[in-house]
Amino acid sequence: MSEWLQSAIARAETMDDWLAPQRRESLALLREAPWPSRKVEAWRYTPLTALERADLSTAVVDTTAPDAQQIAGVDSIDLVIRNGRFENPMKELPAGLRITSLQSADDGARERVKDLFGTVKPTRHIFGLVNDVLASDGLLIEIDAAAVIEKPLRIVHLVSKGADVHTRVLVSVGEGAQAAVIEQVQGEHASFNTSFAEYAIGSGAKLEHYRFALQTGEAMGVGGSHFKLDDRAELNSTIVGFGSNLSRLDTDIIHDGENAQAKLNAIYLLQQNELFDLHATVEHAVPHGTTEENVRGIVADQARAVFNGRIHIHRHAQKTVAELNNRNLLLSRKATVFTKPELEIYADDVKCAHGATVAEIDKKALYYLQSRGISRAQAQIMLNFGFINELVDQMPNEGLAEWLRPQLRERFASMASSEEFAPVSSEAGEQ
Amino acid sequence: MLSIENLVASVDGKTILKGLNLSVKPGEVHAIMGPNGSGKSTTGYVLSGRDGYTVEEGSVTLNGENLLELEPEERAHAGLFLAFQYPVEIPGVSNLEFLKAAVDAKYRAQAKEPMSSAEFLRMAREACKQVNLPAEFLKRGVNEGFSGGEKKRNEILQMLLLKPSLCILDETDSGLDIDALKMVAEGVNSQRSPERSFIVVTHYQRLLDFIKPDYVHVLSDGKIVRSGDASLAHELEAQGYAWLAKAPDQEAVGQERPA
Ligand SMILES: Nc1ncnc2c1ncn2[C@@H]1O[C@H](COP(=O)(O)OP(=O)(O)O)[C@@H](O)[C@H]1O
Ligand SMILES: [Mg+2]
Repeated sequence: MSEWLQSAIARAETMDDWLAPQRRESLALLREAPWPSRKVEAWRYTPLTALERADLSTAVVDTTAPDAQQIAGVDSIDLVIRNGRFENPMKELPAGLRITSLQSADDGARERVKDLFGTVKPTRHIFGLVNDVLASDGLLIEIDAAAVIEKPLRIVHLVSKGADVHTRVLVSVGEGAQAAVIEQVQGEHASFNTSFAEYAIGSGAKLEHYRFALQTGEAMGVGGSHFKLDDRAELNSTIVGFGSNLSRLDTDIIHDGENAQAKLNAIYLLQQNELFDLHATVEHAVPHGTTEENVRGIVADQARAVFNGRIHIHRHAQKTVAELNNRNLLLSRKATVFTKPELEIYADDVKCAHGATVAEIDKKALYYLQSRGISRAQAQIMLNFGFINELVDQMPNEGLAEWLRPQLRERFASMASSEEFAPVSSEAGEQ
Repeated sequence: MLSIENLVASVDGKTILKGLNLSVKPGEVHAIMGPNGSGKSTTGYVLSGRDGYTVEEGSVTLNGENLLELEPEERAHAGLFLAFQYPVEIPGVSNLEFLKAAVDAKYRAQAKEPMSSAEFLRMAREACKQVNLPAEFLKRGVNEGFSGGEKKRNEILQMLLLKPSLCILDETDSGLDIDALKMVAEGVNSQRSPERSFIVVTHYQRLLDFIKPDYVHVLSDGKIVRSGDASLAHELEAQGYAWLAKAPDQEAVGQERPA
């Protein structure tokens, strides 16, 4: 067992709060869990050396971290978790919405937390278990049946230099309710954060979800967003990842009720020595579900992207419609992407497609732009950015898209202007 | 302005243009008609420098410049504009960004300061009005999900913004209803000037009722086989192209002008 995990377990053993009974089982699993190495398939391409080497136990946490910036043009209900503590004074909330911090949950809320905690997130995620046993605070967000919450809820995780923090988000979207939740993680200095979120989406409910894993540099983050969809539930999720020393995201979408619809778009833009790893698993356990998953990334310099997309269609999940696509653009010869889209189908009456490609510039589009006087080099940049922006355009919240676009554009511009820039169309490293 | 001499060009090893001659003077409007597959679109592609189109023989000059030596973007800077028969969709690149990049590139080529975004937006909105395209189309991906007619309007919009000196319209009227057709014609007519020339590729006389051509040419099997004035288009409308099969080669008149 690794030293890191040993000390995490030791720390967990001292956690003595009302969540202790919830943590017990995970602690037992964690004691038996193999520490991820190259031999563990789920971690084959994502080394944990940066985490093992970073000693945050004695670090002094910088408490003067910047505030969560508002997103201009998006009128959201902001929920700030700074270095592991939910700090918002609770303002007046719209009818049908309840928000409780895990630390200050009363008896009633504690019961409802127990109904959700660990019921959506599979136990195979080792850092999910770490989060189970170490989460110091978090949120229970409850949306009443049929409630339509107009303003998006924005959960901002601010992680300061030296912080080693673990937080949990639990969301229940009642029958026929509608809501939007944004999870945003920010940080750039040496730190470690796990943030896992579990969503139970009731029948006929609609959830719009965003996860912005924007930690960079030495800010290490491992997290997950896990969804359980009841009958006719609709999920529209957009994930955006920048890379850091260690940036890993697991998402699970579980079709638990029939006729549910899931749409997942994910984008990553990586440069220098950054690493970003996205593992997305979709379980079609019942018939008539649909999943549409589009993952696109641009990788520059020596950066590394890992994508593992698995769609598992169980024996009884007839009439499933599922599509999974991963396209990558490599801007340098030293950039790598390990991509593995997997369809595992045990039902015989389904419509499924999947693929992974190293994207090539569309020659016709290039010619079209050039024919209008745009230089070949600029046209290439426009098309490459367009390849990512196509998914930004699909974000249902236009204000959010307008906030994101210039950030992506800026990041992309610095990638494209790097000395390593040499678009290549060689084969991606296949897992 | 434009001079095409004995142009022979191939694609995928197949010779398509087989000795094309055409000369267009400033301010003139030339219509090119001819059966499907005769090389009309190919002519536009070769002139604009599309990859995969190889010039085997001949020369093309535009305003004295050897067009065939230039990159496609340089040909645009030299004043060439091709309104495509099938404009390509580019999702993810907004129409506005695309139009601004094109106009900026032109200004840069002319060593002029680029327009401010606000100024450009005003101009683009104005042009939208002129081609009857709602301004929302500026926000959408280039041609993304546009109907056939909207794509053609977007081509004319680009022409209005770029103010080229030679415009080739490749079947811009195909698939348009009469109102859209009039809009295209008005767009072209508003741009007619003693300095600007047009080559209008069309199958239909009706467009030429609105855009009066100075010359009409018939392209067949990669060559111009007949040239005449506007009345030739009426004749073709009545007779079709059946006569081509019997036309002896020497009847081809190339770039010769009607008396
Ligand atoms: N990539 C290609 N490879 C082979 N032949 C082609 C290719 N593109 C066009 N052609 C042929 O060139 C001829 C002229 O096409 P085109 O210029 O599109 O005709 P038009 O526009 O007059 O209908 C046609 O016979 C067509 O099949
Ligand atoms: Mg054609």
